[in-house]
Amino acid sequence: MRAETDDFLTAPNRDSELYGPTGSHPSIRFEHLPVVQGPLSTLDTSRSKLLKDVTDKTAADLLGNSKASMDMLLSEALYQEKARLRRERVNIFTRQRKKNDYRLWNQIQSGLLKSPSVVDRRMLFDNVLHHYAEEIGGHFNPKTYEFATRTVPFGFSWLLNAASVRRFLPWKLTQSLESRLKIVGEIPMIRKLAQEGTILLVPTHQSNIDSVLIGYVIYLMGLPPFSYGAGLNLFSNPVLSYFMGGLGAYTVDRKKSNPIYKHLLKNYSTRILQEGIHSIFFPGGGRSRSGAIETKLKLGLLGTGLEAEIENIRTNKPKPRVFVVPMVVSYHFVLEASSLIEDYLSEAGKHRFIITDDESWQPTKILSFFWKLFSAQSGITCRIGKPMDIFGNFVDENGRSIGPNGTTIDPVRWLTSRGEVVANQQRDREYVRELGVRLADRFHKENTVISSHLVAFSFFETLRRQYPDLDLFRLLRISLQQRTLPLDTVLAAAEHFYKKVRALADRGDLYLDPELKSADTLKWFQDGLNSLGLFHDDGVVRMGDGTVWTEDMYLLYYYRNRLAGYGLSEMSHLYDKKGFLD
Amino acid sequence: MTKKDFWTNSRVAVIGAGSWGTVLAHLASLNCSEVRIWVRDDELAGQINATRVNKKYVPELTLNDRVRAYSDLEKVFDASSGVQCVIWALPSSVCRKESFRLAKHFRGDELVLHATKGIEEGTLKRVSEVLKEELPTPRIGVISGPNLAHEVASKQPAATVVASHFDEVVAAGQALLSSESFRVYPADDVIGVEWAGTLKNILAIASGALDAMGLGWNSRATLITRGLAEMVRFGMAMGANQSTFLGLAGVGDLLATGSSNLSRNYRVGMRLAKGEKLPDILKDLGSTAEGVRTTQTVYEFAQSRGIEMPITGAVYRLVKDGASIKELIPSLMARPSSAAEI
Repeated sequence: MRAETDDFLTAPNRDSELYGPTGSHPSIRFEHLPVVQGPLSTLDTSRSKLLKDVTDKTAADLLGNSKASMDMLLSEALYQEKARLRRERVNIFTRQRKKNDYRLWNQIQSGLLKSPSVVDRRMLFDNVLHHYAEEIGGHFNPKTYEFATRTVPFGFSWLLNAASVRRFLPWKLTQSLESRLKIVGEIPMIRKLAQEGTILLVPTHQSNIDSVLIGYVIYLMGLPPFSYGAGLNLFSNPVLSYFMGGLGAYTVDRKKSNPIYKHLLKNYSTRILQEGIHSIFFPGGGRSRSGAIETKLKLGLLGTGLEAEIENIRTNKPKPRVFVVPMVVSYHFVLEASSLIEDYLSEAGKHRFIITDDESWQPTKILSFFWKLFSAQSGITCRIGKPMDIFGNFVDENGRSIGPNGTTIDPVRWLTSRGEVVANQQRDREYVRELGVRLADRFHKENTVISSHLVAFSFFETLRRQYPDLDLFRLLRISLQQRTLPLDTVLAAAEHFYKKVRALADRGDLYLDPELKSADTLKWFQDGLNSLGLFHDDGVVRMGDGTVWTEDMYLLYYYRNRLAGYGLSEMSHLYDKKGFLD
Repeated sequence: MTKKDFWTNSRVAVIGAGSWGTVLAHLASLNCSEVRIWVRDDELAGQINATRVNKKYVPELTLNDRVRAYSDLEKVFDASSGVQCVIWALPSSVCRKESFRLAKHFRGDELVLHATKGIEEGTLKRVSEVLKEELPTPRIGVISGPNLAHEVASKQPAATVVASHFDEVVAAGQALLSSESFRVYPADDVIGVEWAGTLKNILAIASGALDAMGLGWNSRATLITRGLAEMVRFGMAMGANQSTFLGLAGVGDLLATGSSNLSRNYRVGMRLAKGEKLPDILKDLGSTAEGVRTTQTVYEFAQSRGIEMPITGAVYRLVKDGASIKELIPSLMARPSSAAEI
């Protein structure tokens, strides 16, 4: 334990674990561990049965009590799928998939044109279900997993040693990945809970790097492999698809919005949880475009946790509980920052779900990202948050839900309506909405504030105060001269906001990274400024001649937004927020 | 089990034996198998059970036999049988304290309906929010409307609103409280219903003060309409639906309490306007006047957020500074007018 970090870590009660010199939880060892086998390991053997169950259930759900006929469901899906396929651009990796899709939907189309006595609608319906199920259903290959867990750290370490200038200093040679990746938070708790029930890990999402990183963190924590829904688009990325193929990922295609697909996907992820397979969902939907921590969460997938638990209780599963564990990753620089913020700011951003041409598609950029990461002073902080039950109540290490005033909550009671444990659509929707609200709150509270975010925030807010009449879009377009400020002014603001986040940390509303330990404002400001600019060629905030300026207002706004949602801005009380994210 | 059978065979706990709590207990007893009403005072509990009348608060109402009063919480929440619904009828000032104390009796599957018109002083938290924070049970709703307890007790036709995010809670409220002279409307705008019930208490004080001056219908109509506009403005800032204020819980309640001397807030306003001192009035009143506390909390918040609430401001000065109504009315009338005002 570095003595000087003691009192500066955060409020003393919150981080009672003693972190080692690496900054990670002491139980995290950056060495090769034996792979822990979990239920996912046997997924491939039970896969066909599982997919059949899921398609059967989906058919029953859709056709059972709904008024919609098979013709209606098929026609709607046909219309939407044809429209999607017409819009879709292909590359070498996706051409075959598009062909197959066309083949299916042409067949459905000609089938629907014939009389039901000639072409059985149920057969068409089953074809669609089968087609989707095959697309969604993940594979898990223990060999690939084993291989990846060896390769990832090896690759990381190689890059680290190659990239770090300090490799020339022999006594620093032992320093490796662990100084760049800090894993902190409720690690013993998540390990214990993984034994007591099924874990639903819900991280914030900033970069396509996340999936790889999180997979590696799970492995380092000594947990069995997790299943997760990865965007279908990622599978067409040669770099990323390599990591995902055999790692238990199932595919999610957000461009498919017809009820058959959505229902099937939901049933699949519910079923995975019911099988006791720990899963990862990104509840924000996609990567955060603005750079801010997610506040509006996609409730559909979150709801599968509740559904799985209800089914588990009804069928008397020995370990019915599902535990929701938030996770917040803090990056000094995000690979795709430029594309994301531009997407957020452009009108088109509201309609585009998937960016197919951002930095994470360019191997050189990815390489450059890691190179910069490992040559930097400080790296990525990854915090495992306090685990909750599916209603958003905290749980203790035995998986008991803690209610207000020292009461223990029995989830069975919360799921009882008129004397019976049943699924109740309206009630459950409300439970999930509440979980979403609590989760968004936890995301903010589990966030680790790092120096670069505070630099971006302080500088941006100083500019905003300089030009109080400008709305967001006009402020983003001020000239270089206008966005150059005296260092003293910016430092004063930095000190001011530092005090504010300090107060929030003391209240338990966020965490401060130990690198913010220095009471010397200039020092942490300089550190943050260096880390922040590192990945972006022009830098984000720069300093010299007693002035501070920014080369890129968009990027500045992106990194500044990480501290939105805390009410830190002095301008946020204004009724007219002028488009700023506060 | 059908919905109706379930509630017919259910047990209901009523927390608080004030006038409205007692009347609600009686209403519920007509639709379920047993109502246990919690009375803090042992003597009053004995008296209610012996005479079937809550002499202190609703002497005119003879309670149904299925209503039993208890001063012992263990008996109200009797672990062996349990209750399916809890009706919460305590003043907002003790809401936090009492819910904290009662938390351990809740199991998690009981549906909670509260009938408190007020908010937590200082924090601006609605009663359902306080209950949610303190009780280990999630399904909570609110009962609110133009319901002067004594009129409901004498079976005059009336209606109320039950609002909750959970349809189950609304259905329970309808099943338990409906009768031939009492009609229950469903709603889901919990924020709107709770704020409407709270804000109208401020206007009830204003209304009492106005009547003390012997002013006529024009003045009263002006007060009610402009007061309603303030309620809507504030409510929407809190996240309520505008339309809720046009319903029973909004304008309905405002009309009932804004002109009835059965309303405690109205009586406070009337006596303040006549120059009496607030502490003396509250001492005489015997029971709570929610509006007095609410006025300060709401006014201060509105000030900080820049929500325009001139009438609330005047009531604040009346209650807090003992300003005279003779000065307040001209200052309201002479406000600069703005074209944009709704």
